[in-house]
Amino acid sequence: MAQRVLVEALRQVVGEANVLNAPVHLQLYQYDAYLEERRPDAVVFVHSTEEVAAVIKVCHAQGVPFLPRGGGTNLSGGTIPFRGGVVIEMIRMNQLLEVDPVNLRARVQPGMFNLELGNALAPLGYQFLPDPASQKAATLGGNVAENSGGPHCFKYGVTTNHVVGLTVVLPDGEIAEFGGVAPDGPGYDLTGVFVGSEGTFGICTEVVVRIVRQPEGVKTMLAIYDSIDRGSETVSAIVAAGMVPATLEMMDQLVIQAVEQSIHCGLPLDCATVLIIEVDGLKDDLEAQSEAIVRLCMEHGAREVRVAKDEGERALLWAGRRGAFGAVARLSPSYLVCDGTVPRTALPAVLKKVAEVGERYDLKIPNVFHAGDGNLHPLILFDWRNAEQKERVMKAGMEILALCVDLGGTISGEHGVGLEKMDALRLVLSEADIRSQLRVKRAFDPKDLANPGKIFPAPLEVAGVS
Amino acid sequence: MSPDLASLQRRLVDLVGAHHVDAAPESTVPFAVDGRVPALTIRPGTQDEVASVVSACAAEGAALVPWGGGTAMGTGNPPERVDLVVRLDRLDRVVEFDPDNLCATVEAGLPLARLQKLAAGKKVLLPLDPPEGDRVTLGGLVAANLSGPRRLQHGTIRDWVLGLRVVLPDGERIHCGGRVIKNVTGYDMNKLFIRSFGTLGIVTEVTVKLLPMPAVQATVMGLFPELSAAASVVEEVLGSFLLPEALDLLDPGALDLLTPRLGTAGGFAVVAGFAGSREIVARQVRDLEAMISVRGGASRRFQEADSTETWDAVTNLFQALPQEPFRVLCTLAVPIGRTAGMMASVRAQAAAKGLWAAVSAHAGSGIVRVAFRPEDGCSGDGAVPGLTEALEVLRGEAAAVGGSLVIQEAPRRLKERVDAWGRPGSAFSTMRRIKAEFDPQRLCSPGRFLGGI
Ligand SMILES: Cc1cc2nc3c(=O)[nH]c(=O)nc-3n(C[C@H](O)[C@H](O)[C@H](O)COP(=O)(O)OP(=O)(O)OC[C@H]3O[C@@H](n4cnc5c(N)ncnc54)[C@H](O)[C@@H]3O)c2cc1C
Repeated sequence: MAQRVLVEALRQVVGEANVLNAPVHLQLYQYDAYLEERRPDAVVFVHSTEEVAAVIKVCHAQGVPFLPRGGGTNLSGGTIPFRGGVVIEMIRMNQLLEVDPVNLRARVQPGMFNLELGNALAPLGYQFLPDPASQKAATLGGNVAENSGGPHCFKYGVTTNHVVGLTVVLPDGEIAEFGGVAPDGPGYDLTGVFVGSEGTFGICTEVVVRIVRQPEGVKTMLAIYDSIDRGSETVSAIVAAGMVPATLEMMDQLVIQAVEQSIHCGLPLDCATVLIIEVDGLKDDLEAQSEAIVRLCMEHGAREVRVAKDEGERALLWAGRRGAFGAVARLSPSYLVCDGTVPRTALPAVLKKVAEVGERYDLKIPNVFHAGDGNLHPLILFDWRNAEQKERVMKAGMEILALCVDLGGTISGEHGVGLEKMDALRLVLSEADIRSQLRVKRAFDPKDLANPGKIFPAPLEVAGVS
Repeated sequence: MSPDLASLQRRLVDLVGAHHVDAAPESTVPFAVDGRVPALTIRPGTQDEVASVVSACAAEGAALVPWGGGTAMGTGNPPERVDLVVRLDRLDRVVEFDPDNLCATVEAGLPLARLQKLAAGKKVLLPLDPPEGDRVTLGGLVAANLSGPRRLQHGTIRDWVLGLRVVLPDGERIHCGGRVIKNVTGYDMNKLFIRSFGTLGIVTEVTVKLLPMPAVQATVMGLFPELSAAASVVEEVLGSFLLPEALDLLDPGALDLLTPRLGTAGGFAVVAGFAGSREIVARQVRDLEAMISVRGGASRRFQEADSTETWDAVTNLFQALPQEPFRVLCTLAVPIGRTAGMMASVRAQAAAKGLWAAVSAHAGSGIVRVAFRPEDGCSGDGAVPGLTEALEVLRGEAAAVGGSLVIQEAPRRLKERVDAWGRPGSAFSTMRRIKAEFDPQRLCSPGRFLGGI
């Protein structure tokens, strides 16, 4: 009954064709790239800020939860409608509204894919720097909501460093402008606060991003090692030498083998790890930089270092890294992507301990990591049909996060908390920290309608543990 | 209900010791905020003491204003009330310096210059250069999001903070972020406190990212009789592959101020700073000098220590201006491409209203810094109406392109006529709710921020 009233009201504002409520359709929106499922009451396609506002006003009036959905590629359950309600499908708001090279800004609708934006800027000689490995299928709105990273963070930062303004529909349906093309707008930095809010502060319907010239030159290298420790030592040595490469990415043997099977990019199957290093900028010193890096790699025990000679070779070196998650999917029916971060120098230590966790729980754990950022992605392989194994996986995943925290790191570098890591939040945040974050949530969403049930675990009092 | 300050003072003395709590005019008057003299000043010695002090104020309903190096205390509207100024100069410890992981954790009262000195010993730095770096504290840098010329390449403190510890208005201690360079564990609370001007609590500890020190640095200055030629160099640089750390434009008023230190006089200047390897610095110096000479400008080159000295002079340009009869400092923030146009507008307004002005812009970032003074011989008060009008006109022009005008320093009688921040926009209702959630009693810097927050 309530659902019929809801659907009727939604049809009024966006038209019948833009509302889905048949079970077969709703089923498609009950999962994302994480492992849990929950069916929404309706799915709505929106095309403008005004439509989003109208839909949210309906939800607000009826006290119905809602959440925006971009590409659905987030790995923490961010788009699972945990308390039912309306999934607002953003994918049709996918226009590039303005490219403004004079002011080094672009204005984009949130349903545009990250790669599409890149492809539109490239012919003009510009780029948007955040480039998550999922960029083909991840939207700008999702990037904003998760504060996504990617392989170029070490030099260029994450999404928040490149988003300067947002148009937001707040959870009561009001439209607000945060930041904009001009810098340093007076007042609190709500743009900065919104980025990384995982859909819980409302829906952004326009994004103003910083664009930069493409670099004059790029050099990409691949160093091959027989020992994973030597690979991570090299990373520290490069940084200690005062260099700031754009990329410092590593993959371990299991990932390399999987990648090689699916992409055939010429990686040796018997090596322990490969390190992808990219330097960019003015062309004058790139040769010297890459020579210095090759030397450091060899000094630290690299078996071989390949330097891409042209764009084709560079693309091949990257294809392996970008395809890593996909390739690993061939190794087992499912896997859990962990996303911990440690201070960079703790990488060798954490990798050893992750391997021990794998042995203890009898699980295979291939590893991909953003080594420059100290951000590791152990991928715990399992078969979702095996309930006992799944339980072991969850426990192992939790242990890996605890390891990261013990070494001075945190439980999520780029994938967010969502449903997945609510229970791990207390490894990092105190009760006072959590309370303070909930104050911000209340300021944005006093009725708790925007993507409810995410990020924050139940208060200890309720659980009877306080 | 007004707070019982005598009882608060006794309580505070218990908490931090008698010689760190002061009610005598000689120690309260220098800490007046826009003319409002606090009843008490206090110098807590630890972060826990800050928390106890804030709790005591909350219990007593006393309003407080945190005070770091004091370099941005002129910014904003006069506070509604100030019972207590909390001085943070005793919180100046380095908690952890970890050059291998390119990060440092320091207490909020540590001056930036001391962090830089420590970092330089390990060939790293925090690449930010706000005015008065020897006085600015890390906490102040965060609270006011101060920046300097190098924001072109390195952004602002917003891009370098990894973590904060904050004492909230009710005295509760929290931490935000951490010490890793990627962190999406819960909301990005750092951003809430950066540029909150002491209205949401007191930042007591800051963890920042550091950068390896560049091998070489150099600066090129191009001098032109016309703004248009200097501005076209800026445009060409921004459209090129060049990656200057800083790219400033100076007007004749600003160049006059630099005469004692740099021997410049008259005309407009474009100043570009380059850092990095020998090869890329040499290449960029060469390219820039060519751009200047093609336009008939004169180039000057500054290397290493001279380069540092040049930027120090440019950054601190306005600090030497006499404060009598008064000076007004403000910042216009506009889309990057509007910077030079805004500079021209400021000059036109000054001329029309018979004011002296100096303008210095971070031209690659859309920041135009302005100093106004009454023309020589003009009595201070006589200039106020013209200045009020000029500020409103410029604010209107900035707003028309989505920008803003913020008053950094002005005499009280001017602040009574012109709001320091301008009119709040559609985001304001959320801002006000945030303030109400964190500081329902309005005890932290009440009234100083946008819209009376
Ligand atoms: C193979 C693979 C590789 C990946 N690689 C990376 C990587 O390198 N780096 C990285 O950081 N992440 C990576 N991810 C994770 C994921 O791709 C990112 O989090 C991405 O930004 C999510 O975008 P999306 O459009 O799919 O968002 P969705 O999954 O649709 O949504 C994510 C969250 O954003 C919210 N949201 C969506 N649109 C809006 C909006 N308009 N306004 C407000 N909130 C909104 C949703 O409610 C949800 O909470 C990877 C994922 C996969 C599957």
